[in-house]
Amino acid sequence: MKFPYLKEAVSQVFKKPSTEKYPFVKKEAPEHYRGKIIFHPDRCINCGLCMRVCSPAAITRTLKETDEGTQVTMEFHMGSCTFCQTCADFCTRNAIEMSKEYSMVVENEDDLKVRGTFIKKAPAPKPAPPASPASNLGDSPSSPATPNNKEA
Amino acid sequence: MSKSPWIYHINTGSCNGCDIELVSVITPRYDAERLGFKLTGTPRHADIVVVSGPITAQSKDRLVRTLAQIPDPKVVVSLGSCPRSCNVFKGSYSVEGPLDKFVHVDVSVAGCPPKPEAIIDGLALAAQIMKQKKRGQK
Amino acid sequence: MILFYVLIFPGFLFCFIAGLLLAGIDRKLVARMQRRIGPPILQPMYDFFKLLGKETIVPRAASRKTFLIASTIGLASLVATALFIPIAGFSAFAGVADIIVILYLLTIPAVSLILGGAASGSPYAGVGISREMVALMSYELPLVIILLSIGKAVGNAMGGGITFSFTEICAYQMSFGPIISKWSMIPAAIAMLFVIPCEIGSRPFDIAEAETEICEGPLVEYSGTPLAVFNLNHAIKMFIMTALFTSLFLGGFSTGIFALDVLIFFVICVAITVISITLLRAVTARLKVEQVFKFYWSVVSGLAVLSLILVWLGL
Repeated sequence: MKFPYLKEAVSQVFKKPSTEKYPFVKKEAPEHYRGKIIFHPDRCINCGLCMRVCSPAAITRTLKETDEGTQVTMEFHMGSCTFCQTCADFCTRNAIEMSKEYSMVVENEDDLKVRGTFIKKAPAPKPAPPASPASNLGDSPSSPATPNNKEA
Repeated sequence: MSKSPWIYHINTGSCNGCDIELVSVITPRYDAERLGFKLTGTPRHADIVVVSGPITAQSKDRLVRTLAQIPDPKVVVSLGSCPRSCNVFKGSYSVEGPLDKFVHVDVSVAGCPPKPEAIIDGLALAAQIMKQKKRGQK
Repeated sequence: MILFYVLIFPGFLFCFIAGLLLAGIDRKLVARMQRRIGPPILQPMYDFFKLLGKETIVPRAASRKTFLIASTIGLASLVATALFIPIAGFSAFAGVADIIVILYLLTIPAVSLILGGAASGSPYAGVGISREMVALMSYELPLVIILLSIGKAVGNAMGGGITFSFTEICAYQMSFGPIISKWSMIPAAIAMLFVIPCEIGSRPFDIAEAETEICEGPLVEYSGTPLAVFNLNHAIKMFIMTALFTSLFLGGFSTGIFALDVLIFFVICVAITVISITLLRAVTARLKVEQVFKFYWSVVSGLAVLSLILVWLGL
């Protein structure tokens, strides 16, 4: 009968335990940890790329027409997110950022959704170009876009 | 009552990531036993049920039966994002749906997988809820 | 007066507190040996009171009355055993054949576990109780031989024959010093140190209550108050076995003040727990059923028989 580690067992009683006393001593996540999503609505341009690449389809968008433009609400459901950072990688304006917050413990589901709202103004309509009969033959490629050229 | 919550873990088709993080809460680094937690071998001894994994069609019956075997007062904790909303498996032919459809979920710990510190937070909250349930406030 | 003995002093209340404290100290020390902070020492008490507040579910396939009463039978027999063991020289009921009574009473808690498991109506419990029966058979043999050899050793000094009475053993230790100081009884002491973990059900010999293998064995369908009493039985058995060892092998000291004697007795019980239960529990895994049986019937019984032969030859 062999009793391995008997000496270590006895000597470790007198050493300090190696436990991290979590709830009493807070701990920070390591560098580049992918935690809860922070959304910056002022940088978003409503391109919809994040929704395309999100694998669990955790991002949803609601549109509402107001007189100032379209009110866009992006909603990130942390209860469905895989924390793969693909949306942050693909976002063209760096509006999505993954923070280092790892403790997301809630009692109702609503607390798990990260929302952001912004208003996207419609672009100002361009002034109509002066119509000239010579440019209808299409031999100057730098002419401003006319309805005929646009369809072609 | 909140000083000795016993945990039973059910895996309903999970990828095992959340299970590994749950078991690592019992290891010496994040010792949960100092708060009184203990992993039991049978649902009849448990107070807190931790469910991980999207509920697959094959495990649905067993899940419902096991949940009925746990004596009151009990607290249901959903671990990870699979029981909350089936994560990447939404709409699959063999996934029955989020845990909400079968039982009232008291605490959800989000993350894929959640860090062991977050799991300790969730279990501590579950122990508090159990104490309130025992007193009849919920 | 008898009511006082049964309920308070070496009876229910004393065993309750001492047993749960010993169980708590054991868990804390196992944790420290594994380099972690363990549960607080009063944790088994919190467990006990929490379990009293849970509902009791009786499965449909179980026989109801046996299921609910099985644990109380074990508790009653353990408290009765505590009345016979001399705690610091004081035993509530002294008789002519104490050792035989204790031997019979000590099988009852194991049988109550088997009863409870059999009444559960679950196949896991069935496997658990057959393993508990194997464990019971394996440690009873060395225990009987050890008690016989002690009885003969004391009887030799007191004038021939075997004695089965605890008062004579205590008187012998008062005049001649602790029995463990006789070199021929040392194999018996080592054998007894091995019998203690098996009787209590702690690693590496906990084949009955195997947590991960068979979903906690005979206790699989228990919840609420019967489970609380089973856990209490487990803790009190720890106290009774170590108290038996202390009073049999290490008796013979007395400071005159009774309370101080009881305290020293308890401290020695803690030391025996650490040596025979905690150290083994922290470093070993579980043995197989056949291995436990072979170990007890060859090595441990061999040591006890060696002691018996030496004592019988008059050494």
